[in-house]
Amino acid sequence: MDNTAPMSPSIRTDAATFEVVKNSLYAAAEEMKIVLAKTAYSPLLKVAGDYSCGLFDADGEMIAQGPDLPIHLGSMPDAVKAVIQAFGTFVDGDVFIHNDPYFGGSHLPDVNIVSPSFHQGDLLGFACVRAHWPDVGSATPGSYGAVTDVFGEGLRLPPVRLYAAGVLNRDVDAIIFTNVRTPDERRGDMNAQIAANRRGSARLSELAEKYGVETLRRIMAEVMDYSETMMRKFLLELPDGEGRFEDFCDGDGILEPGETEDETFTIRMHAVKSGDSLMVDFAGSDPQVAGPMNAPLSVSTSGIYTAVKMVVDPNGMIPPNSGCWRAITVTAPEASVVNASFPAPVVYANHEMSHRVSDMLFGALYAFLPERVMACSQGTSSVLTLGGVDYRTGESYVSYESIKGGFGARPTKDGINCVAAGISNMMNTPIEVLEMSFPVRVEEYSVLTDSGGAGQYRGGCGARRVWRILGNQTRGAVCCERSKSAPFGLAGGQAGSPMRITLEDPDGGIRHPLSKGAFTVAAEGRIVFEVPGSGGYGPASKRDPAALADDLKNGYVSEEAAKSDYGVDG
Amino acid sequence: MSWRVGVDIGGTFTDVALVDEETGQIGIAKVPTTPRDFGQGVVQGLSIALEEHGIAASNVSLLSHATTVVTNAILEGKGAHAMLVSTKGFRDVLELRRSSRSSLYDMFQDAPGLLIPRYCRLEVNERLDAAGEIVTPLDEGDIDAVISFAKENKIEAIAVSLMFSFLNDVHERRIGEKLRAALPGVPIFLSSEVLPEIREFERASTTAVCAYVGPILESYLQRLAAATGEMGLPDLYVMGSSGGVFDVAEGLKMPAMAIESGPAAGVIAAALIGQQLNKPNLLSFDMGGTTAKASLIKDGIVETTSEYEVGGDGNANRWMNGTGHPIRVPVIDLAEVSAGGGSIAWIDPGGSLKVGPKSAGAEPGPVCYDAGGTEPTVTDCNLTLGYLDSNALLAGRLAIRADKAKVAIDEHLANPLGIGSDAAAAGVLNVVNASMAEALRIVSVERGHDAREFSLVAFGGAGPMHAAELAGELGIREVIIPPIPGGFSALGLVATDLKRDYVKTHFIPLDQADPAAVNAAYAEMEASAKEMLRAAKIPEKDWVMERSADLRYGRQAYELTVPARAGDVTPDILAELAQLFHEKHRLTYGHDNPDETIQMVNLRLTAIGRFDEIELGLGGGTGTSAEAQKGSRSVWFRQGGRQDCAIYDCAKLATAAEISGPAVIEAVDSTIVIPPGWQARMNETGHILMENNNG
Repeated sequence: MDNTAPMSPSIRTDAATFEVVKNSLYAAAEEMKIVLAKTAYSPLLKVAGDYSCGLFDADGEMIAQGPDLPIHLGSMPDAVKAVIQAFGTFVDGDVFIHNDPYFGGSHLPDVNIVSPSFHQGDLLGFACVRAHWPDVGSATPGSYGAVTDVFGEGLRLPPVRLYAAGVLNRDVDAIIFTNVRTPDERRGDMNAQIAANRRGSARLSELAEKYGVETLRRIMAEVMDYSETMMRKFLLELPDGEGRFEDFCDGDGILEPGETEDETFTIRMHAVKSGDSLMVDFAGSDPQVAGPMNAPLSVSTSGIYTAVKMVVDPNGMIPPNSGCWRAITVTAPEASVVNASFPAPVVYANHEMSHRVSDMLFGALYAFLPERVMACSQGTSSVLTLGGVDYRTGESYVSYESIKGGFGARPTKDGINCVAAGISNMMNTPIEVLEMSFPVRVEEYSVLTDSGGAGQYRGGCGARRVWRILGNQTRGAVCCERSKSAPFGLAGGQAGSPMRITLEDPDGGIRHPLSKGAFTVAAEGRIVFEVPGSGGYGPASKRDPAALADDLKNGYVSEEAAKSDYGVDG
Repeated sequence: MSWRVGVDIGGTFTDVALVDEETGQIGIAKVPTTPRDFGQGVVQGLSIALEEHGIAASNVSLLSHATTVVTNAILEGKGAHAMLVSTKGFRDVLELRRSSRSSLYDMFQDAPGLLIPRYCRLEVNERLDAAGEIVTPLDEGDIDAVISFAKENKIEAIAVSLMFSFLNDVHERRIGEKLRAALPGVPIFLSSEVLPEIREFERASTTAVCAYVGPILESYLQRLAAATGEMGLPDLYVMGSSGGVFDVAEGLKMPAMAIESGPAAGVIAAALIGQQLNKPNLLSFDMGGTTAKASLIKDGIVETTSEYEVGGDGNANRWMNGTGHPIRVPVIDLAEVSAGGGSIAWIDPGGSLKVGPKSAGAEPGPVCYDAGGTEPTVTDCNLTLGYLDSNALLAGRLAIRADKAKVAIDEHLANPLGIGSDAAAAGVLNVVNASMAEALRIVSVERGHDAREFSLVAFGGAGPMHAAELAGELGIREVIIPPIPGGFSALGLVATDLKRDYVKTHFIPLDQADPAAVNAAYAEMEASAKEMLRAAKIPEKDWVMERSADLRYGRQAYELTVPARAGDVTPDILAELAQLFHEKHRLTYGHDNPDETIQMVNLRLTAIGRFDEIELGLGGGTGTSAEAQKGSRSVWFRQGGRQDCAIYDCAKLATAAEISGPAVIEAVDSTIVIPPGWQARMNETGHILMENNNG
């Protein structure tokens, strides 16, 4: 590191005070996360961590994001700006709620709670928690059905005032909880989001008390300038160049009349890095599709930001906030799969498209930054939702799980087995907790042999998970990708194994549903997920024999694959 | 006379602490740590300490030890060749973990380490359901396959962790019986014995840690116990991570208890100080060369947590979706930051002043040690500002080079920032103090405690230098510096009780819980506890059983632990638990939901064998503060910048001597800084009490 770097002209506060206050802002966002996780009700939030917490300035720019989901990097500011645009004036104790992907949201299950933060009457900014509710209505428990417009995806809330000066708006509350399944659980989650915001606001107020409102506001602005300066500096150190990448998706979950296969569609990317900025353009990508695989531009952008941060700042020196992204431009054709127009349905694209464009950017940058990118990871959130009536209690339930596959191989290292990659960082739900909460039995959860793409550096293995449905039938829905376009390798590395979904009926029948959409499984039937491994890096022929021997000994690679993929007799 | 002796192995030195049980007089001896065979340093330290203080081995009443053997085995990957036995379908439980990665954007991060490689993880066909009922009976043939594999592969220890075994241990017990009979000398750890608690990964991980470190701990402790026995010393006790000691036999049943035993000792010593000075609410702050640790003591009780990972880098954060291996045993709730005297200060490309995480460590050390260090450290800043004596000799041998420290600060910090050396050095302390204050905040404010109601006990080589500034940061009015702050941790080893924690999952909505069943679960744990206390030869009058319960709202995932009253469990006692839970939830998170069902998750029992209480003290000097003053020098303070500041010799200060800030008190192994507006007083047992009189 260049220790003699001149001080950034953007920081007027002294360097020590700046560092202290900046760290306090990030600690506050992290503390919000703790409060949310420890008090939420649904397994998705409390144990899986599908949410992001942030602090924002009075204009809705993000000052600090907690150590949460990268998927929300680019779109959280829109959530706060929508509230500012809709209301304009605020008083202490106000709380807003909304989830409209066409007005500040990402997809309907991601519910934003936004609270203004005050110090002695001065508006300092906002706290916002975006959390994935396991159900927001619609025809399918879990709200992951393959529908053809946003109206079919569930309850759509524009920014509305849930609390006015600390008083609950019972009308809004009643509308929300009439329209979601398992309302008690949702209310617990909502209260946890509000509690997290309260904690964030309290810490902002403490900082204002200590440093003064004006100083705090100035540092909040400087924190963003600081991130921009760092991002540009790191970009400048990389060689200039441009690259293109094309990839296709499995489909949108909708079979058009006469079709027997879900039709694939294509995304095209052109990335140009010049000096201290990066431009990513999606010209030539397919128009938006009938099913919910259309991403609002802010969702596509979040996927790009995630990959940029991993390439440019692998050591995590740049704090994530709105300033980071001033050096990055993302453009996409209107009404395309990467820039959805109202009223296209969007629910799957939130993670499936952001995963996709994030992996694709590595592919595009490989042209001129081969040592700074990784092969394609699992490339899907592999979501399974289940809903029905629990035979043990007679109560209805909704379960949401996301199963993780391989993390891509790197230019100097193997990939990682079964860990969240790219835009996602959700945890799995402990099986013992899952089975106590829902009428299922998990019969296997294992590392999938031969799923990591062969290469000098092997791709990370994917996972196999098997659920048996108990007592009553269940209404399930899946949202997966990479069943047809397996995760690509780089530099001669092979692709990882594709996504496979199998339904085993109690009578012995076998079904392979589309990668997206709903189905019913009878009691005692089984659902089998084989989640993708990641791509390999470098040609398999160059793999270190000792590493391959270790793979064989531990069953990450079978003898057959050693022969077919590596040309080695085991 | 009878003495208690504690031995604490640190990175550089092995400290031996001695306390006279009658007078409370304390002594310390230091010898170099012997990393190749830690036991050697321990024995050497003991011999020297006993000789220096003229103590016969037969006059030692208690010998207690904090060991880093377990943690080191994990960090260095030098544990046993162990295997895991799982339910069919789940041999990868240790590898699949919780599936989140610890570093969001680090493309080149490593996969978390594996204590047991995949080929050593075998499955047996069996399954229980979520009610603990048998769905698939145990396949005896699979157990035979495990036995053959263990023999063929010379397996040294086996962990057995089956699905839902915390509800019904029938299959694990059967496997245990067969393995123990067929594989004598191979320790077998059953998850239902080690940790009968829900969550298959965390339970398997705790059990695997036991298997991985068990054989190493066993050979270490048995060798050491033999050596100390030969010296004529009493039975060896080991400090556990929850702050009590246990005997060797008990430790080998649950090796995970020996994790983090060193840091626990410091907090226990702080708690003892609190008891002695009648200050039940303390924040304990321990700062050394590379890390600073904060912990909270409320009403005399040390706070513990069950969310801990060993061998990872996640514990500095609030959030551990980490890189280490979770162990679900109570561990003293420590917040740790990589900030110490050796932490390096630098300016990042965005123009902000950073301290750490890089440390100059012991080699090359701070710039002022003149051993090759070129980047300015916290110690260099403390020296430049005058807190440290530039005429002192390092370890009595080498001259400190204040000039070099200043050059490094100017070159790397002051010049690029366009400010003076003092301002740059002060900025570094500002940043490092804020990050340490954050650690104190995590254990206090974030857990629902008001830091201002606590006194700060500061120790470790660097703690007393930073304590007053930290206290000011958190609004704490009183700071306590114990005698011999540098070797203070070792004193905790002799100031504790015998302690063992038991847990049993009892999963039922609280309002449906049958008092008799709850009672029976506690009684079962108490029976094990009594057996343990009897084996440790603790007289029955000194037995204490503390019950508690882990509760949460029905649909939450994280529990809070509340105390349960002793005696036969009645509906009233259960109602009281509910009340305590609502209160604790409100205190911790700011809200509660009195209408929501409460879920009972775990019952806990802490069994304590009390040792006689002792008082710690150090005969002070005889001098008034004027007589103890050894000079003055220019020192920089936030309040008023550079000023002439009196310097005192701690050893000469008599009881009740008073000193007003600004002042610096120099003790044998530490320097105490008293800023303007602070008042310090030496008490009758050698503690310095500092009070903030600023507004």
